[in-house]
Amino acid sequence: MKFVLPFALIALLLGCQSNLPDESNVFFYNENNSITTLDPAFARDLEIMWATNQLFDGLVEFDKDLNLIPCIAKSWKVSEDGRAYTFNLRNNVRFHPSPLFSNPEERYVTAQDFVYSFRRIVDPALASPGAWIFDKINDPLENGFQAPNDTTLIIQLKEPFHPFLSILTMQYCNVVPKEVVEHFGPDFRSNPIGTGPFKFAFWYEGTSLVFHKHISYWQTDSSGITLPYLDGIKIDFIKDVAVEYQNFLLGNYDFISGIHPAYKDELLTPKGELNAQFESKINFYKTPFIKTDYLGFYLGENTSASTMKALQDVRIRKAIELSINKEEMVRYLKNNTVVAANQGFIPPALLHSPQLHNEYNPQKAQDLLTEAGFPKGQGLPEIPLAATADYADLLEYMQHQLALNGIKISINILQGPTLREASAKGTLPVFRKSWLADYPDAENFTGLFLKKNFSPDGPNYTHFFNENIEALYAKSNSGLPDSSRLECFAAINELVASEVPVIPLYYDQVTHFVSPKIMDWEINPINMIDLKKVKKIH
Amino acid sequence: MIKFVLSKLGYGLLVLWGVVTLVFFLFNLSPSDPARNLVGESASEEVVQAIRKKLDLDLPMHHRYFLYLNDLSPLSFYNRVDSSSRRFFIEERYSGFEILPLGDHAIYLKKPYLKRSFLSDRSVSEILGDVMPGTILLAICSIGGALLVGLLFGVVAALNKDTWIDRSLLFLSALGMAGPSFFVAILVAWIGAVLWRDAIPLPFTDATLPGTGLNMTGSLHSVNAFSGEYLDLKNMILPLITLMIRPLAVITQLTRSSLLDVLGQDFIRTAYAKGLSVRRIVLKHALRNALNPVVTAVSGWFASLLAGAVFVEFVFGWKGLGQELFNAIEKQDLPVVMGGVITIAFAFVMISILVDLIYGWLDPRIRS
Repeated sequence: MKFVLPFALIALLLGCQSNLPDESNVFFYNENNSITTLDPAFARDLEIMWATNQLFDGLVEFDKDLNLIPCIAKSWKVSEDGRAYTFNLRNNVRFHPSPLFSNPEERYVTAQDFVYSFRRIVDPALASPGAWIFDKINDPLENGFQAPNDTTLIIQLKEPFHPFLSILTMQYCNVVPKEVVEHFGPDFRSNPIGTGPFKFAFWYEGTSLVFHKHISYWQTDSSGITLPYLDGIKIDFIKDVAVEYQNFLLGNYDFISGIHPAYKDELLTPKGELNAQFESKINFYKTPFIKTDYLGFYLGENTSASTMKALQDVRIRKAIELSINKEEMVRYLKNNTVVAANQGFIPPALLHSPQLHNEYNPQKAQDLLTEAGFPKGQGLPEIPLAATADYADLLEYMQHQLALNGIKISINILQGPTLREASAKGTLPVFRKSWLADYPDAENFTGLFLKKNFSPDGPNYTHFFNENIEALYAKSNSGLPDSSRLECFAAINELVASEVPVIPLYYDQVTHFVSPKIMDWEINPINMIDLKKVKKIH
Repeated sequence: MIKFVLSKLGYGLLVLWGVVTLVFFLFNLSPSDPARNLVGESASEEVVQAIRKKLDLDLPMHHRYFLYLNDLSPLSFYNRVDSSSRRFFIEERYSGFEILPLGDHAIYLKKPYLKRSFLSDRSVSEILGDVMPGTILLAICSIGGALLVGLLFGVVAALNKDTWIDRSLLFLSALGMAGPSFFVAILVAWIGAVLWRDAIPLPFTDATLPGTGLNMTGSLHSVNAFSGEYLDLKNMILPLITLMIRPLAVITQLTRSSLLDVLGQDFIRTAYAKGLSVRRIVLKHALRNALNPVVTAVSGWFASLLAGAVFVEFVFGWKGLGQELFNAIEKQDLPVVMGGVITIAFAFVMISILVDLIYGWLDPRIRS
C-alpha cells in the first residue's frame, strides 16, 4: 500500500490532461492589479475600465484619434445655449441574455435605461466614485435626465460645459439594466449584464476572469459581419511582472502593457525602439498618454516647517526644476518610452504648445539660488521628497542631479495609500504624483490649480492659488469656440510654468507589446482597450 | 487528557484575542483614510461620508473594536428589533440563532462574521474559503514529502556515517538550507518551466529528454475559457519542489544527528545483543526516540506554511493565503487583513495543541 500511493499520485497528475475545449480564438492577457468589481459604477481604475469596456456600452465613444463617435446614441444635438443635450438612440441594442428579463434573449435598451443608469451613479446610497461627473447636471435625480420616448434621451446642464460629451465616454456612463442591478444589489459586481461585444462568463477571483462573445451584438463590420471576431477573452491575475513577461514570450499571453524594469532593457533599445531580435516576434505600439508625472510642492496654510518656508520662494522651486536634466533622466531610466516634460504641465497630446519651459540649465539655477540667499545651496535645509517605491530610481537620479547644484534631497519612500493620504493632508513638502486625465480635455489638467479643488476634497494637492488662473478657467467655460478655449488653457499652462507649484517630469506614453497573432490592434491616448474589432490568427 | 486540551484551548483563545486586538489597533492607527482611498480625489465629501457610514468608519475606534469583537465571537449580543441599529441581527449575514432574549436585545449563537472587504465588497469568509485549500494542500504536501524523503535521507546518512553517501547528503542539505526561498523559487521556475519545458536533445545520441511541459505559474485549479475551472495538479510540482527543499534539508540533518545520538545509547546495544535485525532496531527503537526534535522543527514549519508561503505563491502565481494577505496589506483592506491574521493565529494555536499531543505519543514521559 505504501508503495502504491506515490504511483497513484503521479498517475493522477498526468491523467489531468483530458480533452479541453479549443481556446485558439480567445484573447489572453494578464492583469497585475486585481480587478475588484465589474460594475461600471465603480470603474475607477484602468484595469477595471478595460474589463467593463468589453462588457458595456455607453451613448458615445472615442475612436483612436479621440474623435467622438456614436455608440448606442445614433446622433445627438446640443441646444444653442449649450445646456440641453438631446440624444437619438438606436433601437436594436440588446442586453446580454439573462433569466431575469421577461424575454431573456430580447431585452432592448431604451432611453429609460440610461435615465436609470445615470441616476444610479449620482445616488448617494450607491456611493459611486463617479458621482462627481454629473455635478454639472441640473437636478440629476428628477428632471436632469429625461426619456420622452424609447429612443430619445434629454440631458439638462446647469451651465454650458464643453467637455460634457467627453465625460459621457467614461465607463461610469455605461447603460445597465434595472432588473438585474436591483436583483443582485452589491453582487452586481460579479454578475454584470451589459450590451457590450462580450458577455460575462465566469470569474474565479484571483485566478481568471473570462468573457465570451456576445453573439447578438448590435455592431457589424463594413462587410456586414457581426462583431466581435474573437470567441472570448481570458484575463489572468499573476502579480509578478517578470513571470507575466515570460508567459508573454512563451505565447501564453497576447499582450502586455507598459514598461517595467523587469524586461525594459531586454525588449527595448536605449532609444526606445524594439530590440532587433524581437522584431518578428512582437509588435510594439506606442502613443502619447494623457498623463503627466510631476513633483508637487505643498504651498498651503500648513507651512510651519523650515523646509516648507524655503519652498514658498518661487526661485527655489524654479532652481530645483532647472537643475533636473529631464531628457537624460527619461533616456536612462525609462528608455525614452516617455517624453521629457518641457512643455508645461498639460501634455502636448491635449494642448500643443511649441514653447519650452524651464529647460535644464544648472547655471541659471545657481543664479536663482544666489538671488534667493542660498548661494550654492548653502543654508538651504535638506528637502524631503516623498514617493512610492516604484519611483525610487527616479528620486535617486534627481537626488544626484540636485546635489551637483548644492541642493540636498532626502528620499522618503511611502506606500501608495499612505502617500495619497499624507499629500492630501499637506504634510509632505514635496511629493511625486501623476495626473491621469479623467477625460481627454485640457480642462481636466487645469483643475489641479483651482481653489475649489484644494485637497483633500479635490486634486489640488499643492494648494496653489492664482487669481489669473481662476479667471482664465472661468473664461474657458463661457461657451467660447474651441480655439479660444485652448488659448485660455495655454495661458494657464504658462502661468503654472512660471510659478512652479509643480515640476512636470515627463509625459507618459501608452506602450503595448502585442503578439503577432493579433491583427488590427489599435491604441489611443486614453489607453483604453477595445477588443471588438481585434482578430486573432489561429 | 481532556483537561490538558481544554486548558490549551483556553490559552489559545487568549492568544487569538491578543492578536485580534493588536492587529486591529495597529492598522487603525495608520493615518490613511480607507473611504477616501476607495473613491479617489474627485469624489465629493458627501460620497466619502456615505462610505464611512457604510464601513462603520464614522464611529470612534473603541466602538468599532467592540463591534468587531461582537461580530467575531460565536456568542454575541445583538439588537433583535430595530433594523436601523448597527447591532441589528441580520439573518442572512450572521446565520445563527437566538439563545437568550433580553428585552430588545438578545444573545445569539452564530458563525464568526469577518465582515466584507473594503475594496471588493466581497465577504471575507468567502475570500478566505477561496484561498485556503491551495495553501493547506501545498503545506501538507510539502511537509509530508519533506518528512518522507528527509527521514529516509537522515537514516541513510546516519547508518553510513562518514562515508561518501553521508558526505554528499550533508553537502546537499547544506546547499538546500543556504538558498533563500525567493531565489530558489525563481531558479526552479526558470529551470522547470523555461529551460526544460520542451524536450531537450541529449548530446551524442539521437534520444531526447522529454520536456516537463510545465507552466511557470498556476494554481490548484486552472481555467479553460469555455469549460471553466478544472483541477490541475501538475501546477503544484514546481512550488512543491521549491517549498520542500529547505524543510527537507533541515529534516535530513536533524534526523541524522538525533539518530546518531540515539544509536550510541545502551538500549540499542542491548537490542543488537538480542539479535534483532538492523531494520527493526532503526525503525522500531531508534527512530521513534530520535523524532522529537524533528517534530518540533516540522510543526513550526508547517504552521508557518499555513500562513502562506508569500514568495513562492507570488512567483508561481499560486492562489493562496500568503498572496491574498500581501495584497490586502498593500491595499490596506483591513477586514481581509484581520480575517487572514485571525486564520493564521487559529492555525498556530491548533497546531501547537496537536504537537503537544504528538509529543505525548512519541515520549510517554511527557504525558505525566
